[in-house]
Amino acid sequence: MLRYSSLLVVAGLGAAPLAAAAQNPSRAAGAFALREQVDRVRADVAARAVRYQGRDRGPEQTERFSRKVKLGRDGRFTIENISGDITVTGGSGDDVSIEAVKRTRGGAGQLASVRILVDERPGRVEVRTEHTAQNDRVSVDYTVTVPSAAAVDARSVSGTVKVTRVQGAVRAETVSGNIVAASTPKLDAAKTVSGNVDLTDATSDADLTASTVSGTLRAKGLKARALELGSVSGDVLLSDVSCERLSVHSVSGSLEYAGALARRGRYEINTHSGSVRLTLSSDTGFELTANSFSGSIRSDLPVTLGATGSQDDRRRRGPGRGPGHSTHAVYGDGSAALSIRTFSGDIVINKR
Amino acid sequence: MTTADDAEIVARCRAGDADAFETLYRRHAARIYTLACRMAGSAEDGEDLLQEIFLQAYRKLGSFKGDAALGTWIYRLALNHCLDYVRSRRAKMSKLTETLDADTSFEPLAPRETPIARLDLERAIERLPDGAREAFVLHDVEGFDHKEAAALLGIAEGTSKSQVFKARAKLRVLLGKK
Amino acid sequence: MHPNDAELNEYADASVDASRRGEIERHLEACTSCRQVVAELREIARVAATLELRDPPVRSWTRLERAIKLDAATERLPQNSRNSRRTFDLRVQRALREMSVMGRLAAAAALVLATAVGVQMMRGSAARRPASAPAATATAPAPAPAAAAQSVEAELRQAEDHYEKAIQGLEQIANAEQSVFDPRTAATLQKNLAVIDQAISESRAALRTEPASEPAQQSLLENFKAKVALLQDTVALINEMRKGNEAGAARIVSGLKQKGD
Repeated sequence: MLRYSSLLVVAGLGAAPLAAAAQNPSRAAGAFALREQVDRVRADVAARAVRYQGRDRGPEQTERFSRKVKLGRDGRFTIENISGDITVTGGSGDDVSIEAVKRTRGGAGQLASVRILVDERPGRVEVRTEHTAQNDRVSVDYTVTVPSAAAVDARSVSGTVKVTRVQGAVRAETVSGNIVAASTPKLDAAKTVSGNVDLTDATSDADLTASTVSGTLRAKGLKARALELGSVSGDVLLSDVSCERLSVHSVSGSLEYAGALARRGRYEINTHSGSVRLTLSSDTGFELTANSFSGSIRSDLPVTLGATGSQDDRRRRGPGRGPGHSTHAVYGDGSAALSIRTFSGDIVINKR
Repeated sequence: MTTADDAEIVARCRAGDADAFETLYRRHAARIYTLACRMAGSAEDGEDLLQEIFLQAYRKLGSFKGDAALGTWIYRLALNHCLDYVRSRRAKMSKLTETLDADTSFEPLAPRETPIARLDLERAIERLPDGAREAFVLHDVEGFDHKEAAALLGIAEGTSKSQVFKARAKLRVLLGKK
Repeated sequence: MHPNDAELNEYADASVDASRRGEIERHLEACTSCRQVVAELREIARVAATLELRDPPVRSWTRLERAIKLDAATERLPQNSRNSRRTFDLRVQRALREMSVMGRLAAAAALVLATAVGVQMMRGSAARRPASAPAATATAPAPAPAAAAQSVEAELRQAEDHYEKAIQGLEQIANAEQSVFDPRTAATLQKNLAVIDQAISESRAALRTEPASEPAQQSLLENFKAKVALLQDTVALINEMRKGNEAGAARIVSGLKQKGD
């Protein structure tokens, strides 16, 4: 579901400085400057790395990197990578422990052209992969342990990002890769373009947000206050999920929700051609408003059907009206609010 | 937070100091966000409104005179913004819950077994219809009296009062069953 | 004779007319249900007064900050910005100089969209009710049903215009810069844009046959929103990937290891 605020986000990105890149970015004070340099360098590589027809035929060369940095109980850890996986796990202690492996098939000389930079400041640790040479055949895989209460912001372009057991606010993004988040009660964003998103085992009092464009978005064993999930063509599969607010939006992807409804919860589901299937495992009463232009609406629950608003219905049921369905029904005490809208997708609500 | 603090923050913001604006944001965001969520009836709208309000505050800082506390100034800005939003929205659509009992008669409900939890009340407030919700939020939650609430809402005091009562009746229904 | 609801409320608030108070009290002594009502009203008011503050999501600050940067870029900027560790205006001046024409178009389009459409337009979360819905407030006179239908269609057309403008600007950039992505990502983005376009044309076709159909109207708007969102995400990625690309630097092709299947 498009949020007004996201419009401002991208507009803002366009306005960020595009100052000419220097190989040695001036160390201007402030996290902003650092961040922009990170973006710039990362972009530099990505911009040059377009197509390659496999000139790397040598054996894989690797180089290891290892560093331990103090962060403190609830500091912030940021890591940016371009090509390669990132795995971040929450642990005990106050340190961030970084293990990285550079890999290339283009000859050992390539490895030196990629640097791993670690920036420490009070309450923050930032790691980034810097490619200093014009060409890039090197990927870096990171395995990091952070204090479990830290906040984590992890990004890669082509690689999987995995975050586990981190209590602080988590952002995990990649373009061509999967996102895996487990036991992350405060998931601010889990985003990928062509990969999948897998969320498991989070018991959260807060809001979780995740999106993919074409991959599958899976959430299992979640108990959260609010879930906001989106995809364009990917399916959204929720099992054993219990949340008080759910907002799912997809265009051609389907939604499956298997789990309980919370009393007085609010569930909003919106797809165009994807189907919506709810398999409810609780006896929670709900009030359902379901609309579809040409999809069908079915339920095996004993619901009381009612008209939505008489005038709307009469208009819709008038002569020359095409297919299309609208249902306003109440099950049990109607405490939860379900709003389901599709264009052509079918809607099915069953009890487990 | 003294007026001297306020004046300093504002001066620094006007000079383009990003840190200062962030400080200002962090001091007041929760209050404004909470108000926006309740007035608009949803966290999504609340978040969007929060953006706009602070953006507006940023633009209008030039006109802040320092005769009231900064927090009060932002709160008034926020309140007006939320009310504009809800008013324009109301002209176009009405909430789902409108179809639930539109009458306000008092049939006796089964007595509650447990006291009302704050979280339950918050949720129930979100489900109130526009009009009733704003009046209730201003009067019962934010603490304005009927006259002040009516003035803020731009309606007659009697109307504002009856909206508050209607909201309470609705809340009784929404919260009553346990 | 039970007191009416206004009186019970006023009694609960201790603001009932003095002349009525005694009578109401006597009634309450004898009437359990009214007593219960008053108790509940008091409790609601009591709990309402103790509700707590909610913290906004962490992302709100990030987004706000970006919005302000853009805002500062398009407005006059204050002159003095010395002694600030971080300033919006200096960086923004630089950004403005270096932003491509396309970038500014896109930013402007998005901003136009945001201010004109974003908040005003229906989010599509509630079914629209006919004008006969009860309990309208004094401020908004309920429109006649026919007028309501008309204004909805006019509104829809206006929304379409806004969205299409924004989409055009964004599309121009997205199409011009596709080469910045690896082939698989570029293909994924294209394919999904096509999915949304297909959805948009289905909604439009539906509206041609049933202009008053609410599901069709809602779906058209939602699909526009989805398209804008995807284009914006694409443009954002392009922006990130293009930053720092020196003019004239030779692009040496190399491979991006494809991961994550």
